[in-house]
Amino acid sequence: MKKLLGLVLAVAALSAPLFANGSQDSAASAEKKPVTLTLWTHEDPNRQKMEEQFAAEYMAQNPHVTIKYSVFPSTKIQDLISSAYAAKNAPSIWNLELQKAYPLYTAGLVAPIPVQALGFKNEQALIDTYLPGMLDPVTDKDGKLFGKKGKIYGLPLEMVNFCIYLNKKIFRDAGLDPDKDYPKTWEDVMAVSEKIVKRNGDIITRRGFDFRYGDYLISWVPMVEQLGGKVVSDDGKEAIVNTQAWIKALQFMQDWGPNGKNLGGPTYPVARKVFDNNKDEIAMHLSGLYQEARMKTSNPDFYNSKDWMVIPYPVFKGGKDIANTYYFQYYMVNSQIPENEQVEAWKFVAYMLSHGDMYLEKVALTQPTKKVFEGEVFKSMPYSNVFYNDLKRAHVVYHSSFSWRVNELIKEAIENVMMNKVAPADAVAKLKKDVQALVDENR
Amino acid sequence: MNTERKGKKRRGVEQVQARWGWYFVIPAIVFFSIFSFYPIINAFTLSFFKKNMISPIPPRFIGLENYIYVLQSSDFWNSVRATLTFTLGTFIPLVIASLVIALLITLQGRNFRLWQLLYYSPAVLSSAVAALIWMLIFTPTGIANQFVNTLRNTSGMDMRWLSSGEMVQISTMIVYFWKYIGYFTVLYITGITKIPAVIYEAATIDGASRSQAFFKITLPLLKPTTALVSIVAMLQCLKTFSTQFLFTQSGAPKAPINVITLNIYNTALKDYNVGRASVMSILLFVTMLILTIIQLKVSRSDDVTY
Amino acid sequence: MMSKAISPGASKLQFSLGIDIIIRILLLLFAVIILVPLVFMVTASFMPSSEITHMPYRWIPSRIAWNNFYRALAGNDGSFVYIRNILNSLFVSVTVAFTTVILSSITGYSLAKFNFKGKHIVFMGIMMTMMIPFETIMVPMYMVALKLGMQNSYQGLIVPFMMNAFGVFLMRQYLQTFPKDIMDAARIDGCSEPKIFRSIVFVNSGPAIASLAILTFRQQWDNLMWPLMIAQDKKFKTIPTYIVSFAEEKLSDEGAMMAAALIASIPVIIMFLTLSKYFVGGSSVYSSGKE
Repeated sequence: MKKLLGLVLAVAALSAPLFANGSQDSAASAEKKPVTLTLWTHEDPNRQKMEEQFAAEYMAQNPHVTIKYSVFPSTKIQDLISSAYAAKNAPSIWNLELQKAYPLYTAGLVAPIPVQALGFKNEQALIDTYLPGMLDPVTDKDGKLFGKKGKIYGLPLEMVNFCIYLNKKIFRDAGLDPDKDYPKTWEDVMAVSEKIVKRNGDIITRRGFDFRYGDYLISWVPMVEQLGGKVVSDDGKEAIVNTQAWIKALQFMQDWGPNGKNLGGPTYPVARKVFDNNKDEIAMHLSGLYQEARMKTSNPDFYNSKDWMVIPYPVFKGGKDIANTYYFQYYMVNSQIPENEQVEAWKFVAYMLSHGDMYLEKVALTQPTKKVFEGEVFKSMPYSNVFYNDLKRAHVVYHSSFSWRVNELIKEAIENVMMNKVAPADAVAKLKKDVQALVDENR
Repeated sequence: MNTERKGKKRRGVEQVQARWGWYFVIPAIVFFSIFSFYPIINAFTLSFFKKNMISPIPPRFIGLENYIYVLQSSDFWNSVRATLTFTLGTFIPLVIASLVIALLITLQGRNFRLWQLLYYSPAVLSSAVAALIWMLIFTPTGIANQFVNTLRNTSGMDMRWLSSGEMVQISTMIVYFWKYIGYFTVLYITGITKIPAVIYEAATIDGASRSQAFFKITLPLLKPTTALVSIVAMLQCLKTFSTQFLFTQSGAPKAPINVITLNIYNTALKDYNVGRASVMSILLFVTMLILTIIQLKVSRSDDVTY
Repeated sequence: MMSKAISPGASKLQFSLGIDIIIRILLLLFAVIILVPLVFMVTASFMPSSEITHMPYRWIPSRIAWNNFYRALAGNDGSFVYIRNILNSLFVSVTVAFTTVILSSITGYSLAKFNFKGKHIVFMGIMMTMMIPFETIMVPMYMVALKLGMQNSYQGLIVPFMMNAFGVFLMRQYLQTFPKDIMDAARIDGCSEPKIFRSIVFVNSGPAIASLAILTFRQQWDNLMWPLMIAQDKKFKTIPTYIVSFAEEKLSDEGAMMAAALIASIPVIIMFLTLSKYFVGGSSVYSSGKE
């Protein structure tokens, strides 16, 4: 009896250190269970290389974790992730643009960040590491969505806002001084483009500026907002607010297109790709800071020649000083996996994203953290201050469970006025009717 | 007595044969049940429910609500219009042209392989590749515009292949026609070459002329092949997806070419509204079924045997 | 005995030479038009990208840009994964063509030549599957495949497509006119049904089998969505996935894109060339006796 007691006490004494961590003990033993994480992301060869390296490092530091990294074409990955969710087979970690991730978030398919496990005292501490408002779209501030007040559901891989890249050589070739004559208003953009444009009959062979067709919510809606319009009213009830602003913005596009001054259009090769070639095909285009890295890889001579510059997003004469909206790529974690896997997944994501400067330097992805924006790498990138300044007069892109449809409807309106000679007033009337139907249906 | 035994023997033989008939189709039945019937039934029953594809909330029965919505939605009817326009504009030229070409090839009697290879070659490209090539061709500075300009002796005219509503429909038809002309020509040639020569020999012995041989022998004996070709062509056109999908993804206007399959795809995978997508699937299916039955009846009524 | 009926020697009907030449000119003209996009692809793949979008298109490259092919093969990340994709696509497409031909001909044979209760229902059922676009059943099919554990595997790529309704339809149509007496004669001789199928029906359906094989191969070669959904591991990815990824990254590198397109098309062309000799077996009586 005594021997047995002695044995029990000895065992208890020896095992005491195992339980020394107190309340974290169950978490600790749960964390050590072997875990396999799958990560799905879109194609980006440089980022892939870097993140696979991070995965190797993380697996070395955490031998119970296995990470499987898969890439998919960016136009398909949204469908693949949603199909996987439908089949209850979604990856542990994935990333999507905010507009595409949002419906998954509101459907409760995303796991909240376990801030303490990541080393933060509370959510606010995490939020403070970012520029103001950068986590708002994925924070359940008042707990209305999931009852967990203040929880955060995504971490930004990237935050993008567009400014205008300008090819100085083409400006000079057209008799303009890039440093003085660069456009500050949309009216300027039109005037300057008219001077730069070259044509072969109807077909444009050199463009001045051309829009980023397709991403209308991101890069065209700000034009409407400058004129006082809105996609949806603040109370969420009315669609296409201030039709006059919308009509004016559509009129601008009609004047721009083949049935107006013929300065560009959606069927010409995509501006941002053509610009990088520097083959005298386009003088200005909209893109983010990441474009610089692409320029560097695809055309180092052009990049290094510094014969280009970046200027702020133009504003309509007399319009509100609003710059291009910004949008995000968020990393999110699947809520359908066991909780210990969720924690591990978030730990890995945080580990990857902690290398903010590496993301910026090697892949040109800007995380909206204070550390990155005030760091040396950011400051060393040409014209990064232009992007930073524009950020201060910008707001996040419109996002909702049906924002892709809104984008399509706007696309239809713009194409109708540009290509099919529909009157802007009619296009706006139809747009308002259709978007209102969507808003009503989804309220 | 004798006939009775013979009758029994015949029935026995027939029964054995019938059993073998079943054995031979069992693999097909199993396969289609797992990979076609089950998913189809699954997809179809959902037309009576409200279900968000990604949401873990289980489907909610709403009866005919989805049907009412779809049948009243202008978006749906636009898809119907787009699909019908595309199908009629493509399958009729396809069937006729491939028959003509197949006949021409067999008539001139030489280099069958070479001709078939030439016409079939577009089909060897995958849809993704074909879309890439055609997008380059249809771009304003591409060779499509150059070709039209040379024909019309103008310069710098942009046909707006991928930007104007009407032209983009024509562009999809052109691409589809180009891709499948060889496919159906090959099918026709298979059918033509299957006609045994003895028939023609018998006909010539009887003194038939070439055109008589053509109209009285070749065409009628091609009926099964023609039926095959026109049904398959029609169904393929009604089911068309990738050309329109890839074009709209690269920025072409969606409304003119929003064929029903594209609408189904987007409704399920972007709106996540599986119920509504299922409704459109059922409507498409019923349409195809009716059209196929009509075609089969028409072709069976003049079945030729020899 | 069979071959005489199917590949005749005698040529009794012949057009005058003049009409033959007109026909050939027409065919040639039309063929040229059809081939233009292909020629475009080939010439563009050898051209530096800047020349491709030049107006007017100069069909002959100013210099051969072998670089295009290197970039196409190396891929977005320089890992030459394209080669693996090609091998995967080949393996999957060949296997699918093989299984489709065998299974479709057995089924088509049964539906064409046998009578059993419920035959029409089976036939209609199979035909109905042809009326469902893949996109409609994509997600439920995916769920079924997952339940069967076929994710990320060759089975996952092959099994759901190892047969199709079109193949059944084609073989049925073809075999409907197959002379029954030959089969009956074999039965009287005591041949078993499977043997009859194997040694008599199957071997004499060359043209149809060849067509079906080519068409199926090509269709599977083209399959984009399914392999994307079922195979995440890069070692299972197929060519269409690669083309799409490559095009997205390199939209302004038209030369490399066309080179990738060309490489992706070669296996199917080769397959067609090797199999097409099975078509010739049935040169019709309109021939002049030569091939």
